[in-house]
Amino acid sequence: MSGLAKTLCGLDWSGWLGAGIVGLILLAAIFAPLIAPYDPLGLDIEDRLAAPDMKHWLGTDQGGRDVLSRILFGARASLSVGIGAVLIGALIGVSAGVFAAYKGGLGEQIVMRVVDGVASIPLLVWAIAIVGILGVGPLPVGSLLLPNEVKIVVLVGCLFSPVFARVTYAVAKRIAGADYVRARFLQGASHWQIVIGDVLPNCLSPIIVQGTLLVAIGIVIEASISFVGLGVQPPQPSWGTMLSDARSAIYSGEWWLPAFPGLAISLTVIGFNLLGDAVRDLFDPRSDARTLVA
Amino acid sequence: MLRLVAGRIVSSIGTLLFVGLALFALTRSGPGSPARIVLGADATAEQIVQFEQAHGLDRPFLSQYAAWLGDVVRGDFGKSFVTGRNVATDIVSALPVTLSIVLFAFAIALVCGVGIGVLAALRPGGAFDRVSRFAAVLGLSIPAFWLGIVLIRFLAVDLRLLPPGGYFPLSAGLSLHLQSILMPSLSLAVYYIAVLARMTQASLQETLRGDYVRTARAMGLSSRQVVFYALVNALPPVINLAALSFGYMFGWALIIEQVFNIPGLSRALLNAISQRDFLLLQGIVFLFTAIFVFANLGADLINRVLDPRQRAAA
Repeated sequence: MSGLAKTLCGLDWSGWLGAGIVGLILLAAIFAPLIAPYDPLGLDIEDRLAAPDMKHWLGTDQGGRDVLSRILFGARASLSVGIGAVLIGALIGVSAGVFAAYKGGLGEQIVMRVVDGVASIPLLVWAIAIVGILGVGPLPVGSLLLPNEVKIVVLVGCLFSPVFARVTYAVAKRIAGADYVRARFLQGASHWQIVIGDVLPNCLSPIIVQGTLLVAIGIVIEASISFVGLGVQPPQPSWGTMLSDARSAIYSGEWWLPAFPGLAISLTVIGFNLLGDAVRDLFDPRSDARTLVA
Repeated sequence: MLRLVAGRIVSSIGTLLFVGLALFALTRSGPGSPARIVLGADATAEQIVQFEQAHGLDRPFLSQYAAWLGDVVRGDFGKSFVTGRNVATDIVSALPVTLSIVLFAFAIALVCGVGIGVLAALRPGGAFDRVSRFAAVLGLSIPAFWLGIVLIRFLAVDLRLLPPGGYFPLSAGLSLHLQSILMPSLSLAVYYIAVLARMTQASLQETLRGDYVRTARAMGLSSRQVVFYALVNALPPVINLAALSFGYMFGWALIIEQVFNIPGLSRALLNAISQRDFLLLQGIVFLFTAIFVFANLGADLINRVLDPRQRAAA
């Protein structure tokens, strides 16, 4: 943990700006029920399409619902999908990368070929198509009904995993072959001790960097899938569905309907990108060339 | 060299077959069998068996996949159970629309992205470098479909410069065609301009620090020549990224087409989803995946030609 604390102290101003934005939006998402001025689902026919004023800071939508409250609750969907997908992707990818690098042989070949296969899947097309096939209804697991977002989280997580598998594999391969690791093995350290004590800590910094940048991509993907109606289902608020509902307002002039959800997405994504870039500059200034794209 | 190229091509095709199998399995994992969807809930068991026999759905999974693949190679994506039309016909009628938007966006992204990246790399820390870095973070963060909405508001509704949506094919005249795809392509391109500019800038700046660049300068080569040689060496990662970008653009084009109400593959795919038209959906997604895989293969091959070391290694 001391390494992480040291890192945070070394952030430049853009990194702090990113960290600040991410922190604020995380707080907004967590405490949405406490700070939202209105019920995000509460219809109010009297107050339809009200422009931003002191009563409704960001105005109201076609159903008279408060836009600010819906944006605050929408942050929950965006962040949980973005962060959840990255956690799942990291779990799968890091396990696969460490396994392949440490195990070697046929297992390594098979795992890395599968990673190549998953990496050659165009993310958004598949996400839209697979969610479309499975249907947007809630997913019954035992007695629980999981919302549609769970499908998106797992799917996007799987499609993110090659990024983690490849960075972990590259580092783990180097570490696993190093003399000091062989010495540790001769001292009687078990495979597990070496993986957890030597290999994983060395992979941590690229994983954090890629993870932060991938959250940004995950958030845009959630918004896009919700925008075409296959993500968060109405009336639950999500930035993507809010933008989709706001399409008619482009012509009729209620500018606040498309403006604020779009700004919310952009601001959040800027935050994660600034933070990810700054952390990468700290950990490994020369790795600028490894740009992520989706 | 030839063997290496052939090996790379075979491995790309292998990847595509493997991923295609996953797609084939996933399209069949949704709720309801094709027979139930087409025949309705009150079809008898006998009718369902008949339907499955008629469409080869009772055969083993792998043999169904092999048969489908064999047809796809010959340009036959099967006949939709739902609409009765040939899937290939539906795809061929919508593909040019999506393709023209993606190609135009790709051209914009390539020219602007590489251009901005080169200019920024020439004077590291200079005003242009700093402004472009800042702009790149913005470009990376604005979702394409929101940018589309903003462009419609300002360029179409307020300024009345461009049509707010719809599509005119090239046959309706070049001017109309370009007007109808300019905003969609621009919204699609902005993210990739940022991505490619960052990569070009980073890669070229790294290359310009090389010893051979100093030697070339000392030998008295003009700075234009030096930058040209450095750029050739800086290009491989940019080409790889451009290929990835091209493949991913088709996905975002699906969303953009919705914003601009354009009758491309997006409409076909969403119709396929809502009507549970497995074959159409499978065909479109397989096509996009093939484009993605072969774009990356193309980038690899171009890089092999560009880099004499890779040629010699073969």
